[in-house]
Parts: sequence; structure tokens; C-alpha cells
Amino acid sequence: MSNVHERLRRLLFLVPYVSKHPGVTVEALAKALNMSREDLLEELDLLTCVGRPPFNPDDYIDIYVDNDRVYVDLDQRLFAPPRLTAGEAAALAASAELLRPAAGDALQSALQKLERILPPSTRERYREMYRKIDASTEAPQALAPLTRAIIERLEVTFAYARPGGPPEPRRVRPYELLSHRGQWYLQGFDHMRQDARLFRLDRMEDITVTDTPFLPPPDARADVPNPARSRTEVSVRVRFTPVAAPYVKERFGRDARPLADGGVEVLVAGDSERWLTQWVLSFGGEAQVVEPESARAAVARAARASVGL
Amino acid sequence: MERTERILDLVALLLDAREPISWAELREHFPADYGGSDDAAERKFERDKAELVELGFPLTYVQGDDERRDGYIVDRDAYYLPEADLTKEELAVLYAAGSAALASGAFPGRDDLAHALRKIGFFAGESLPTPRVRMELGAVQEGEEKEVSARLEQLWDACAARKWVEITYASPKHPTTTHRKVDPYGLALRRGVWTLVGHCHLRGGLRTFHVHRIRELKVNTARPRTPDFQVPADFSLDSHVAYFPWQHRFHEPVEVVLRLSGALASRAASLLPGATLEPVEEGGVRARMKVTFLDGLVRFCLQLGPDCRVEGPESAQARVKEMATRILERHAEAHEKVSA
Repeated sequence: MSNVHERLRRLLFLVPYVSKHPGVTVEALAKALNMSREDLLEELDLLTCVGRPPFNPDDYIDIYVDNDRVYVDLDQRLFAPPRLTAGEAAALAASAELLRPAAGDALQSALQKLERILPPSTRERYREMYRKIDASTEAPQALAPLTRAIIERLEVTFAYARPGGPPEPRRVRPYELLSHRGQWYLQGFDHMRQDARLFRLDRMEDITVTDTPFLPPPDARADVPNPARSRTEVSVRVRFTPVAAPYVKERFGRDARPLADGGVEVLVAGDSERWLTQWVLSFGGEAQVVEPESARAAVARAARASVGL
Repeated sequence: MERTERILDLVALLLDAREPISWAELREHFPADYGGSDDAAERKFERDKAELVELGFPLTYVQGDDERRDGYIVDRDAYYLPEADLTKEELAVLYAAGSAALASGAFPGRDDLAHALRKIGFFAGESLPTPRVRMELGAVQEGEEKEVSARLEQLWDACAARKWVEITYASPKHPTTTHRKVDPYGLALRRGVWTLVGHCHLRGGLRTFHVHRIRELKVNTARPRTPDFQVPADFSLDSHVAYFPWQHRFHEPVEVVLRLSGALASRAASLLPGATLEPVEEGGVRARMKVTFLDGLVRFCLQLGPDCRVEGPESAQARVKEMATRILERHAEAHEKVSA
């Protein structure tokens, strides 16, 4: 999109916004418009030159900064922003798909209301563009209660499945939901471990939002799970054939060391034998554990079991 | 006068006008801009008008009659954003999803989305929730997010305007890149990976391209407001983009029968969405499914372990054996290798 287009969209929102929030600070206005303070002040300068013919003093937009606060005295009928364009509505509706199964009826009704406030001439174009993005990521039902718990800052309890054992009851302060490679995770403070932990949503059962409030720490941003970056006592060296190498490089980037034969080698965390064997098997023979010997043996056992040996 | 300023002046003039404004009047009002030769001035105004329409400005030209004169007029009611009367919950859902998409670093139509969130928040005051939901992209390395984000933005514009694109594509299956002209039909997100679906002129058919594998991208800039192609009416993104590895369209569909037992039996529906399931003896589940990439399914079965067995067809069972044998060969002890 052209610069002029982007600027016009911003300015047609800016004047009504200040009209609605007289005395908004320069800082807050810049944040609302996602622009720097300097750029905002320049745009405010431009707006003072905007008006309608015959350009008498009262025909100009009267917008000014006083004591670092912004006011508009004459808005020249720019008291509300323009309606959503087809592109804006389509992008919003497509992003809403991210939470579709979890959001349920609220999403459906929100989208209906959104369509109602589009200019009639835009509706068809909106529907056409909406079909051009498909972002449904199989959002699990668990997103709904967990999103609510994060917004309302309430602890949650759930049963967490463990491989080879009965599910464990957990009580967690939910900080953040994270989707990575199609897998949804909850990051939060685990009372049992007395530490921040990442939980997979597909292993949670019986999620209950309690009425115990908590204050989230300001920096609760979860790291994306990466087996090549987690520090464990034992590391496992895995080699990939040239066939699998391009895919492994895409996932591991610089952590995938190139080999002379066109393959790559990655050093991954060795703390979960179960994860490692499943991962190596998922390459169907294009991956090989080099060391340690115990990990090689585990993969061999798993391969034998899969053909009933 | 600067173009941005002139267009805003036009907005102010038209929003205030009670009568249609004729082209002659516009030329009078903006002598420095719409002066000069008739042709040049008209072309300039046409461009400004197109920009106004793009912004959602409901501008129309009315033919005069006894009561009204000829000229341009704007439907004010259709211009101003009305309150959508979204409930707190509805607003929260739209905000959660929109912010998750923006926080993800790469979402097509980011600018559009940011403006949309601002507009729906206009009447909400300061009480907007800011939920912490985040979506990370798979297969995008540190430092590459910006590039993918910029490509998605270009592709979104090209999809919206229906303009063809030229791409340099690096497929992991080929050692060299290919240059292709593609009519972009749409973008789909699956497991953190953005896929472009469109008509590939090189292959003469519908193809899918992972956006992070596009090395270069150029959008046709000729006649930006005239579409280059039509999207077939029956086109649906979902039927061309795979959720699971066995859904890649690499061969004709084959029916595969799996049997899940133990802990996997109760998870059959979520592990194999779309499969027909029936209970079998000892608490197991039999799953039948259509597969268009057998190796993808076989690798998934190996990953699931011994509680997942391939019951048929024989070609699928043979493939499991081949892959398992290959894994075993690569992981056998030194003495086993000798005896083998």
C-alpha cells in the first residue's frame, strides 16, 4: 500500500480520536496510532494546514498541542473515524479464526455485527477477501477458559497427563498462551514445582478456573520450545541425510551443522528418551543418533517394537 | 499542495457540502492542483477519487435534475463508523485474536488489522482487554520474521487486488530455486506455517508455496486497479492446504486402515481427525482414512509407537517395514551389523 494511503488512514482516525479524548497526551496518542512522537508531531503540523475551501480561518482543522496534551477545537466534521474498509474487516475476521473453536458464539455474533456496520457497497468485497485468508489453527477448546483466566488473573487447576503414568493434578497461575508449530502451550507458575513451566494444552484435562487471584510478573514471556537450545546434562548428536537436511535446517537454522555429504547434524536435549525416539522415528530412516550409545539403543528398541519384533 | 493534504481538504469539503459539487467548482477551489490542461487535471482528480474510494469514502456523482445540480456528493451516514454494539465478550474475542495475530510477527494484512482494531476500539474507551495470547511461526529462523512479514503484506495486497506475482522459490525437494509467475488466490496458516495457494503459470495448475521459502517476490505493478485474474468460484483454500503430513497431494488417494490400542485408542479422534473410527476387541479402535501421501502417514505411525499398527493395504505395511528396517540398520550395534 502507498504511503499516502497509510497516512490518510491514520489522519482520518487521529482527528476523531483527539475529538473523543480531548487532552490526550502526545505519548498516549502516538502509542494509539503506533507511531513515534516525532512523526506524530509532524502529522499534527500537516493537519493544521487542512481545511475546506474557501479556506477562511474557521475552515481549517484547529488541532494543537498544549502542555504536551493534544486538543482539537475545530474538527471540520471529522468527529468519527471512517467505517471499516473491506480489507480491514477481512483481516480482523481472518485473525479471529485463530480462536474460532474456542471462542464459540461470541465470535460468530461479533463477526455478524462487524458485517452489519460495513458500508453495503463493501460487504461483497469483504466476503471475497475474507475467503483469501485461512488461519484456522485447530484452536483447542481449552483456549476459552485459559484466556479468561489470564485476562481475569485467576489461578487454574487441571489434570496433566504424563507418559506412562496417571494424570497429575496441577494448580497454575496462567501467564501466557503460546502457539508453536501447531501446538498450543500455556506458560505459567506451577505451584507443585514452584517455578514457571510450559504445559501442552492437549495434555490438560478437567480445566477449572478458580477464584484465587494473582498478580502476573511483568516479564512473563515464554520461550518457544527448542530442543537444540535447552540445556540438559546429556546431549544427543543426531545426523540427518541430505534428503531430510533442508527441512531440519528450516527448523534449526544455525543450530544445524552442515556435513560433508550434504546432510546436517544437530545436538539436542537428551532428557526425554521418549521424545527423542519418537522424533527420530518420525524421520522414517533419514535420521540417525550418533551418540550416546544409550540413545541409539533406545531408538533401535523402538524401531523393533514398531514392527512387532 | 501535497497530495495527502489535498485529499484531506477534499474530505473536509465534501463532508460539509449540502449540495453536489461540480467538477468546475472543484477546479475553482483547487486552482493550483486541478488547474492546467483539462486532461491532466482530470487524471489527477481520478487518482484522488480512487484513493478516496479505497479509504471507504462513499463518493458518488449525481446527475442533476430540476431540483439538484450535477456534481459529487458523499453519503455522510455511510461514511462515519457507527457503534457496532459489541458486548464485552465479543470485543474481548476480537481483540484477543487480533492482538495474537499482530504479536505473531507475521500475519497478512497487518496494517489493515491494526486499523481495524483501532476502529472497533474507538467506542470502547480505555477498558480494552489486552490478553496474552501469542502465535509463533514455525520454520522461521530468528532474523527472518521481518522478511516473512513483509512478503505476507505484499501477498495480501496482491491477493486483494488480484495482481499476479513473480517469485523465486526454494523447494527443499530441489537443489536449485525456480522462478514462477503465480496468480495468488489466498493465504492459509497451518501449524505455524503460512502457505500461498495460487495458479502457477510454470506448472499450469494450482500449487501451494510456503511463504518462508519464497526468496524473492515482485508484484505486478502495471495497472494497479485492474485485476489480472479471476479466482474460480468453487475455489476453497482449505481443500488445497494440508493440516497433516498424509494430506499432502503427492499421489492418488489410498485407503489406509490403522489399529490403535492402549493409551492411543482414546485419543484416536484427535490424532486422526477425519478418519472413520470403529471400536474393536480389547478396547482398541480401527481407523480408516484416505491418504494422499503414504510416507507421511507411515512416519507418523512410527512416531506413535507400537500401539499404532497399519492393518492395510499391504503396500503400506511394506513401507512401515522398510522404514523400520532402515532405522534399525542405522542404529544397530557393531556386532549386529556384522551378523546381518
